[in-house]
Amino acid sequence: MKPAPFDYVAPTTIEEACAVIAEAGGGATVMAGGQTLMPLLNLRMSQPFIIVDINKIAELKGVSRGAGVTRIGPMLRQCDAITSEALARDLPVLVQAVRHIGHHQTRNRGTVGGSIALGEPAAELPATAVALNATIEVRSTAGTRKIPASEFYLGPYMNTLQPDELITGITFPDWPKGHIPLFRELAQRPGDFALVGIVGALVVEAGKITRAGIAWFGMGPTPIKAKTAEQMLVGQSLDTLDIQAVAESAIADTAPFDDQHASAEYRRTVGKRIFASALREALKTGEVA
Amino acid sequence: MTAPEMGTGMGTGIGTGRYIGQRVRRKEDPRLLTGRGQFVDDISLPGMLHCAFTRSQIARGKILAIKTDVARDVPGVHAIYTQQDIAHYKADLLSFFLAAPDVEMTPLANGRVAYVGEPIALIIADNRHIAEDAASLVEVDYADEDPVVTLADAARGLPVHPGTDNNIAAQMGEEEIDEELAAKLKSAPHLITHKVVHQRISQSPMETRGVVVTRDGTEELTLYITCQSPHLVARWLSLSLGLPETAIRVIAKDVGGGFGLKNHPWKEELAVIVAALKFGRPLKWIEDRYENLVGANQAREQEMTLQVAFDNDGKLIASHGDYSVNIGACPQLPECNIAVHMFVWAAYKMPAYGFLTRGWYTNTVGYAAYRGPWAMETLIRETVLDIAARRIGIDPIEIRRRNLVTLKDQPTMTCMEIPLEDITPAECLEKLLAHFDVAAFRKQQEAARKEGRYLGLGVAAYIEPTGAAGSIATMTGELAQVQIEPTGKVTAIMSTHSQGHGTATTMAQIFADRLGVRYEDVTVFEGDSSRGGFSPGAAGSRQGVIAGGAAIMAGDLLAAKVKQLAAHLAEASVDAIRIEDGMVHVEGSPEKSRTLRQIAEIAYGEPDRLPPGFEPGLEAKYRYQPPPMTFASAANACVVEVDTDTGFVKILRWISSEDCGTPINPSVVEGQIAGGLAQAIGMVLLEEMSFDDRGNPLAATYKDYMLPLISDVPTFEFLHANTPSKSVGGMRGVGEGGAIIGTPTLVNAIADALAPFGEVPVDLPLTPAKLLSVIEGRDLVSPTVAPEAPVVVAVAPLVSAAPVVQAAPAPANEILIDGDWKMVLSTPVGPQEMTGHFETDGTALSGYLAAAEGQQAFTGVVENGNNLLFDLKVEKPLKITLKYNLTVEGNRISGKCKMGIFGSAKLTGHKL
Repeated sequence: MKPAPFDYVAPTTIEEACAVIAEAGGGATVMAGGQTLMPLLNLRMSQPFIIVDINKIAELKGVSRGAGVTRIGPMLRQCDAITSEALARDLPVLVQAVRHIGHHQTRNRGTVGGSIALGEPAAELPATAVALNATIEVRSTAGTRKIPASEFYLGPYMNTLQPDELITGITFPDWPKGHIPLFRELAQRPGDFALVGIVGALVVEAGKITRAGIAWFGMGPTPIKAKTAEQMLVGQSLDTLDIQAVAESAIADTAPFDDQHASAEYRRTVGKRIFASALREALKTGEVA
Repeated sequence: MTAPEMGTGMGTGIGTGRYIGQRVRRKEDPRLLTGRGQFVDDISLPGMLHCAFTRSQIARGKILAIKTDVARDVPGVHAIYTQQDIAHYKADLLSFFLAAPDVEMTPLANGRVAYVGEPIALIIADNRHIAEDAASLVEVDYADEDPVVTLADAARGLPVHPGTDNNIAAQMGEEEIDEELAAKLKSAPHLITHKVVHQRISQSPMETRGVVVTRDGTEELTLYITCQSPHLVARWLSLSLGLPETAIRVIAKDVGGGFGLKNHPWKEELAVIVAALKFGRPLKWIEDRYENLVGANQAREQEMTLQVAFDNDGKLIASHGDYSVNIGACPQLPECNIAVHMFVWAAYKMPAYGFLTRGWYTNTVGYAAYRGPWAMETLIRETVLDIAARRIGIDPIEIRRRNLVTLKDQPTMTCMEIPLEDITPAECLEKLLAHFDVAAFRKQQEAARKEGRYLGLGVAAYIEPTGAAGSIATMTGELAQVQIEPTGKVTAIMSTHSQGHGTATTMAQIFADRLGVRYEDVTVFEGDSSRGGFSPGAAGSRQGVIAGGAAIMAGDLLAAKVKQLAAHLAEASVDAIRIEDGMVHVEGSPEKSRTLRQIAEIAYGEPDRLPPGFEPGLEAKYRYQPPPMTFASAANACVVEVDTDTGFVKILRWISSEDCGTPINPSVVEGQIAGGLAQAIGMVLLEEMSFDDRGNPLAATYKDYMLPLISDVPTFEFLHANTPSKSVGGMRGVGEGGAIIGTPTLVNAIADALAPFGEVPVDLPLTPAKLLSVIEGRDLVSPTVAPEAPVVVAVAPLVSAAPVVQAAPAPANEILIDGDWKMVLSTPVGPQEMTGHFETDGTALSGYLAAAEGQQAFTGVVENGNNLLFDLKVEKPLKITLKYNLTVEGNRISGKCKMGIFGSAKLTGHKL
């Protein structure tokens, strides 16, 4: 459980970091909070030539406001996300999602950007980014690129980030005051990756759902946008909403897998139920659909 | 209902004292809680080098080549050893019973590998980083073979160990159910057949295995090793290496949990020790968590089928058990777990029981003990009782009341001929029921069901043999050595060893009370084989019982000495002397009071003032030999809610009602029980060490091997009955009980909650997917719709049947029976070597069997010219008659020994 030898650099600016990463030609691994990377290094499942530690880059930290967006620096610690007043106000569901990541000790080091970059399919934050239509800003020596979260993930731990690119920010479009957060996950123990989970937000105006952003986690090789359910929900009046039917459609977009913890059929069966109950609770319809 | 009075007329306990029976703060905690403990990895010696292993990547195959050249060239690497390099050292992998294995086992792989993770090469380097770099560069070429992974594979697959006939490592009992028993089962009004599948468990001590070893001179060794008894490690190594025990010093100050894994060293530790002998510099190996989950021995992985016959009142008529355990390739014990059968019905009025029990070799990492190694007996019995109650239509508590052995029924004998004198499971159950309103719960359960909420109540009762001593070589008494130093302070050296057990606290409580000194003035030392005497340490829930008795006896001897001296000095009678709070008082003469220090100074320094014949100093020691077995009893209840949408289980309440006799420290008692219950929760709901069909472990990190977290463990409620045992002090063991009784308690609660949906198959762990499958009546576990796995174990062919003695014709060549024969009997505690001396006179046979423990004569007959039949009566561990039936062919002898209730054991041998 000791890592293979590697070189270590800790740049203090984004430019410096991008230069090192470019020079490494694919041999560099970026270290943020290290909560996944360190175990992978210790197990020698990851053996990079260079570790680029971005903890000293001040520009990558903090939460800021942009035009109609909240911008999160990738180095925002998960523990700081939980106590951020700005996030509590503007992105309450993100805070709720972060509370379910690991444990106090891991959240003290773990970062928002690190979790989004890793793309564990059963993790909370990649799905949150997909659900809320976030945009991933990346930088390289060649310039800047903005990638919609919905196009960022290719498979488990695989994304469209190029070997020379560094995530510099995640922007979440604003949701109106009074929007309804939606979050539910089922994990065998608190802090585990989910067997199945959903995350998202809804806007209800004059008894009608006017906006919906929902994604699954633990239900396929990547976070999965519940597109069919979103389409069914938007424009629906709460009076005539058939939650069960929405849940049935929502599950149709998923591609869950079998593993030693649960079968795909278990995930589908239970996913449908938690989708329905989370939606019901969020809308406080109280009726059995 | 009120609990019956307990603790009256049941022998003499020490009751409570100023310290005994009190929740005294543990002496160990300030050190441990502030990071000042001393574990193996805290040890660093001058010139010390570090070790890592190259391990097998495949589960079974021949090693074609081991290429170490590239690895050897890594800067900082000092040596790389394979088995060939260390083969000239004697290094035997002995069992807990100190028996040599009956298959070939070596510290490093010897030409073949038999499980993923088996150590092949040992690397010695400047540090662990470099050692791991080199370990990954050692290239091993294999001729891959199909592994035997599961119990089903073991029955039909090729033998794991070359040169053996089959994969049965150990077997006892009868392959065919006895006719009389079969008739009883068949004719009973109710016959329940219940199968339990128990997953494989990793002991998961917080401190992984590790050793620091240094060679002093040519043949002396000092070891720092994480273990359950430094004395047992020294004795084991002395026999393993063929070095005198006095040349081996073993130190283990603090240990972060053992749970059975650390009873004695295994392959890796032995390889490092031999490497240190060869290389000459101090070596350190600290097992990392990956190695611990893949390469450290594991436990459980059992299947058992129990048939139980009941009459219409739910009373037991007869039972039969068929048990199998997967013991991997290189187990610490060639185990078939006879204790499962000895205790399965021990606390119940069961008239007749028969069994077949087998341990199977497979290409998986080997077996080691885990807290309550025979726990299957309580799991299968207590779950079948609930199933029977539902089937027959009796309350599950009532079915226990009708069958449990109560205090009034004793003394009595179990169906396996174990004498019972003072077990109290029935009384613990009544105490529990006085505390928990079952009727109110049933109403609550009914109301909840109407709302679609499924609550369940699980109840279980059990007994456990604790503090066993005298029947197995390593299970000895315990030694207490105590002195009042010239300063008046008390120090004691105990044969105990703590892996978190708090023996430095509990033993100090006893000495403080017995000597009349303050707890703060007593210091207890353990954890070093160079002081104190032999004991197996923490094994078999024994330390409180036996060492507690030793401390009482030694403390009393020393107190008597103080009183004798004080009486002499004061010219008073011994009866007038009282020691309290470190002061020695003389009744009626307060002016003659002396401090213990003043008395001690005289005892050590002023021989002229001592009574005639008084041995100077204030020292005493006592090795206490307890009764062969002391039983602990308990009943537990737990309440759960099962979410029928998801199959998730929430534990709402848990009550433990146990009888530990005299509790030396109730907090320590409760800590032991709570820890065991937490492990039971892990076994029922979460933990599982499984393998793919190539024998690759599927849980190599704690992400996949799911231990219970603090959030999974409820706050337990404790009820204590305190029926003193017959051992000195009246203690009963509590080390393992929680892990034994916890599993059926929780399983029963879940089964009760889901009873409206049908029976829950007891196939641990009960994952949400398995429970939802029961709720919905469809398979939500399997990846695809797969055909039912065949049940192979029950119909496993026995490849090598015992010799058919009746049919053996007299061979043509001359039969030479007379003389001495070297014979090995395969018993449940390992192979027993003996010499058989036979003399014939026609068909009359006489002679003796001789072993290290002594020899015993017999007479018998010779049939068919070469068939020897004779009986031997033995007293230990139980009174049984051994019926030998042996056949001589040329210079070889083979056959069976029928050992009463233990079934038959195989014997082989040759002429000397």
